[in-house]
Amino acid sequence: MPELGRAALVLALGLALYATVAGGYAAWRRRRRLALSAQNALLAAFAATVVAAAVLLSALVRHDFSFTVVAQTTSTDLPLAYTISAFWGGQAGSLLLWLLVLTGYGAAAVALGRRAGRDVIAWVVPLLGAVCVFFAFLLVGVASPFATQVAPAEGAGMTPSLQNPYMLAHPPLLYLGYVGLTIPWAFAMGSLLAGRADERWIVATRRWTLAAWTFLGVGQLLGAHWAYEEVGWGGYYAWDPVENAALMPWLAATAFLHSVLIQEKRGMLKVWNMLLVVGAFLLSLFGTFLTRSGVVNSIHSFTQSSIGPWFLFFICVVTAFSLALLFRRLPLLRTKTRLESLVSREATFLYNNLLLVALCLTILWGVVFPIVSEAVRGEAVTVGPPYYNFFLRVFGLPLLLLMGIGPLIAWRRAGLRSVGRIFVAPFGIALAAGLLLLAFGAGSSIPGLVAYTFSAFVLASIALEFIRGTRARRALGSSSWPAAFSSLVGRNRRRYGGYVVHAAIVMLAIGVAGSSAYGTVREAKLQPGQSMRVADYTLVYRGVEERQGANAREVRARLAVSRDGRDLGELAPGKNHYRVEGETANEVGIRSDLLTGEDLFVIADEFDSDGAAYFKVFVKPLVNLIWLAGLVFILGSLIAFWPDGREGRRLAVRYEPGAARA
Amino acid sequence: MARRRSPARLVVALSIAAVLAIFLLYTSLAGGATPSLEPGELKGRAGQVTLSGKVVGSVQDREKARTTGMRFRLRDIEGAGSVRVFYRGSVPDLFKPDRHVYLKGELKNGTFVAQPDSLVTKCPSKYAPKGAGESSSGA
Repeated sequence: MPELGRAALVLALGLALYATVAGGYAAWRRRRRLALSAQNALLAAFAATVVAAAVLLSALVRHDFSFTVVAQTTSTDLPLAYTISAFWGGQAGSLLLWLLVLTGYGAAAVALGRRAGRDVIAWVVPLLGAVCVFFAFLLVGVASPFATQVAPAEGAGMTPSLQNPYMLAHPPLLYLGYVGLTIPWAFAMGSLLAGRADERWIVATRRWTLAAWTFLGVGQLLGAHWAYEEVGWGGYYAWDPVENAALMPWLAATAFLHSVLIQEKRGMLKVWNMLLVVGAFLLSLFGTFLTRSGVVNSIHSFTQSSIGPWFLFFICVVTAFSLALLFRRLPLLRTKTRLESLVSREATFLYNNLLLVALCLTILWGVVFPIVSEAVRGEAVTVGPPYYNFFLRVFGLPLLLLMGIGPLIAWRRAGLRSVGRIFVAPFGIALAAGLLLLAFGAGSSIPGLVAYTFSAFVLASIALEFIRGTRARRALGSSSWPAAFSSLVGRNRRRYGGYVVHAAIVMLAIGVAGSSAYGTVREAKLQPGQSMRVADYTLVYRGVEERQGANAREVRARLAVSRDGRDLGELAPGKNHYRVEGETANEVGIRSDLLTGEDLFVIADEFDSDGAAYFKVFVKPLVNLIWLAGLVFILGSLIAFWPDGREGRRLAVRYEPGAARA
Repeated sequence: MARRRSPARLVVALSIAAVLAIFLLYTSLAGGATPSLEPGELKGRAGQVTLSGKVVGSVQDREKARTTGMRFRLRDIEGAGSVRVFYRGSVPDLFKPDRHVYLKGELKNGTFVAQPDSLVTKCPSKYAPKGAGESSSGA
């Protein structure tokens, strides 16, 4: 079996190499048949990678410990779902998943990306092929998932904290996001190589970018929820370099998704968009380099491995190639239109872009600061959460405000009178909300109060926009309000999907501000029968109980919870002791109030032999809005993603008048 | 003939970029930045640092960590330098000999006195091979 896996990977490498070389030659010399052959090679590389993945998956399910990867990451009593998740639990397996997604995406993007033009596709194939060559080479020559050994009687098992349902989805979603950013990069570079200056590459990759961005966003939220539930420190984001590694490309892709609108509508920002798409792809590679090279200290134990220098080399090659090509094609990308006014939709989108990029670069600076300081001063200096939190407020709060301004303001030039008319209602609602919150004591955190006031402004803007649009559709003849609303969203899915995503970001902001700025925390050592009070909650410790789980001994503290004398049931925080892994993991107790969005979060930190236990209790207002924001985010992305026949026809008229007539 | 652009815009843009860069540099130094060292680099070092290393030998008074404090030795992850550590506070479940940990604190009379509750054990993660101080798999 391992031989089949190795052979499949060598075949995938050969096919990707062929797609690169033959595809490059075909695009250069305009050989159509050869270009088609290179395209087929990319598809065949996907098939070969599927075979390799099936071999590894089969070894995992069969507990074949002669595969080193299987022995290192699983054990016989590990539940099936986690055994399968061990596919991406090791370095080699995760690289194989990367190649699988990349070849699959590549084959699909080339097949579906005809809108970009045949000449662009001809260049996209060798570009995607080259990226595939890099990953296939790593799998064949540097980190093979098919390394074998004398099979031990039992595997090492999986780290207990990873035996969590969120870990089944978090890493694959991040990979779908990271790898997805390769597609817009390849089409952007393909467009430049083909000598095109139009927006076809943007149109052809819009949904790919949106999908990658959505996967990255949801993947990060699931990771945050995993950290919240499983790591048991009471938080969900620690500004760790490994966490930042996923946030940076997401921010760059967010900026890109906004700025392409300006290029599509006004033909502006062509160079900027190219830079953003290159930046997003490079940041996805840089994130992978960070997590695998050990160049910066992280609470996640990513140790030095031989793979880091290869990634660094590849990042350098991609950077040099992309910038050189961009520089060479600069004359093509000059725009005739200019920003007409600093008060216009394109101007607010530009401010949004500058803030997003500034936030992204600030985070990047914080991540690489230890490397820079070590190079300059001979000593690694790390920046802490205060640094990141400061810049999140400096750049994040204006960004929040712009979400309410940008979509409502006119293109080209907006007069002060029209601006006043549009924003008087949202401004009034925000002001009222701010004053009300101040009266209820929200002034204890100024950034929190500002975030809430801005959130009210954005939500009011979005709601009024939906109301105005629905009213207009009804005036145009829709029979009922629901029909008018449905027609409004259906006719401009991208715009209204975007508004829904904005609402999700506002919910996220409210959740983050509420749980971090207005939270309560208390610690206490309790004997059975004793109680503690946190905010409005009373917790009575009833004692410890133990039970044997599927693969762990579970110790739980029983806590009776009440609020203002009303019984709210029991919480059972505790610890799991895993036999095979020889590890202990915290299992927190969480009581969510779905009406207020508040969590009572309890950690049973330590148990004494006399039955006493140390508890750390958090009350986190509005934290559940963060997770709810994830669902709204997916809904908004789906609306924006959904195929729109009208849009297709509009684009056909714009770029292929002949085809539209036919 | 094409109209030449005014250099004023470039100057303004570069000035803003320079101000931002200085601002960034300043806040990154003032934003809770601490030197990140290993035990072998501690010698003669004063002030607060973040210390990372591998727990070696036995851990004394672990059960008293919350009250009177515990003691253990931390060694460089790859080098030979080591230091005795005094720590008081919550002990992560993953803490045990051979683990990679982080602490904040300072060197006092040859012992690294950690800030209470500053002990962080590295989360065992997927790219770490078994035997490198962590078990495999992960986040």
